[in-house]
Amino acid sequence: MPLSASELATFRVFLMTKRRVYLDHSATTPVDPRIANAMARAVVETFGNASSVHGFGQQARAAIDRARREVAALIGAKQNEIVFTSGGTEANNLAIRGLCEASSAHGRHVITSAIEHPSVSGVCTELEKRGWEISRLPVYANGIVHVDDVARALRPDTVLITVMLANNEIGTIQPISEIGSLVRDKKQLWFHTDAVQAAGRLPLNIDELGCDLLTMSAHKLYAPKGIGALYVRRGVRLHGQNVGGHQERERRAGTENVPGIIAFGEAAKLAREELTSRSQHDRALRDRFESLVSERISDVVMNGDREQRLAHLSNISFRFIEGEGLLINLDLEGVAVSTGSACSSGTLEPSPVIRALGVDDELARGSIRFSFGKDNTEADVDYAVEALAHAVERLRLLSPLNRHDLQDFAGCTG
Amino acid sequence: MICKILQDVQDSLVNPANPVNPVPYSSKFKDHLAHPRNAGELPGANAVADEKNPVCGDRLRLSLIVKDNRIKAVRYLAYGCPPTLVCGSILTELIDGKTIEEARNLTRADLVNAVGGLPSRKHHAAALAIETLHAALAN
Repeated sequence: MPLSASELATFRVFLMTKRRVYLDHSATTPVDPRIANAMARAVVETFGNASSVHGFGQQARAAIDRARREVAALIGAKQNEIVFTSGGTEANNLAIRGLCEASSAHGRHVITSAIEHPSVSGVCTELEKRGWEISRLPVYANGIVHVDDVARALRPDTVLITVMLANNEIGTIQPISEIGSLVRDKKQLWFHTDAVQAAGRLPLNIDELGCDLLTMSAHKLYAPKGIGALYVRRGVRLHGQNVGGHQERERRAGTENVPGIIAFGEAAKLAREELTSRSQHDRALRDRFESLVSERISDVVMNGDREQRLAHLSNISFRFIEGEGLLINLDLEGVAVSTGSACSSGTLEPSPVIRALGVDDELARGSIRFSFGKDNTEADVDYAVEALAHAVERLRLLSPLNRHDLQDFAGCTG
Repeated sequence: MICKILQDVQDSLVNPANPVNPVPYSSKFKDHLAHPRNAGELPGANAVADEKNPVCGDRLRLSLIVKDNRIKAVRYLAYGCPPTLVCGSILTELIDGKTIEEARNLTRADLVNAVGGLPSRKHHAAALAIETLHAALAN
């Protein structure tokens, strides 16, 4: 719905007077102008269909191949092991359904974790409805899967293990190489990892990780939405989910999204070149943020392992208050974050990820994710902490949960 | 040419006058969320109720001073999703100074209207507020 002239005027004043700080880089990242330029050029200049034999087509084919090499290099893979998809969700669907449908003759058991992204857990739930058995491994208070639990869950009819590389809500890094060692010598057992949050943020090498399938997404790497990739180790059989064309080595039919692929290639190249500096930058901001929050705000719980986690992400529960109210208060101050509260996701249950850490509902509902990026500054952090401290204080003044003078209402103490 | 267009787009992105979609709540709603009216506990209250939504855990507490059949003062405390916080705030404005009879006649729909509308899955917030009001007036 378009804004009225007066609303627009108010909003312009708001935008001009308020600083805007984007701290939601785990949801998506702003597009890097270098990537936007490469993509814009491709939209106009590289319009050929890569399946065409003529020069226009071959120009597109060559551009795709260059991008494929860059994406493969990001994880130390070979270029013919990369399948471009429309994004992380499609890659996860193709990996899990594709693998399970191709290997159901060997067994119908899948091992996964309790903190997967919905594009993994949702596919697992659907497989379960079709008669597959799913073992969902717990995570402990630090948000990390135990390798021993994986070993114990293995059965002769297990065909797939799918455990994410780094969690999207709390950033905890899972023991993928250890799980990889566990499955390396096993026949008829494959290992998938959803690396959407990790690829381009952590140095990754597919041989060290030991997985057969790995999911990536470009829009977490300062590229636009609509493009992702699945690494498929040579020799792994997948049942295609898109049929009706020979593209992507029969794994994903459909005319290639050439501009998207070129943007992903550029994003992968930049991420590889700048990985160390970005990671140091994000970590410094994140650590500054967490230490300021600890100084300024009482009754906070930092969620997830302190060490084994992504450098750009901080997940904090604020006691006595609920996340979406805090999110909107921050938004009014121009600070963009995410919450694990149920209200903002349209369900009644608060975040399954935070719940999986074994915390109570109040902490799960009061959890906020702050995720930093390469263009954030120290001034952004300081501004966000100031806005956060005020918003938390305001909401706590309103909350009955921290009022010890209200004990006369037994059974209603929250 | 393309790069010129792109440059314009990039300029407009850093231009603070560039409009972006605001969060999907009315400005009245956000105003009450940022500046709750009548927040707190009322000393000397003679009608108090504290109700909880057993499903989602949202909680609302009203304390009133009722004198000569009229609500003379009101304060509220709330925990839960934004509609719960805002319904509490707007409820206190609606009932302040009203007779008991007038306050009792207030319906969930009245409150939803006063908030400026709520999606149906958030109507429970208005229901909790009205329920708490009735409980306070009953004791």
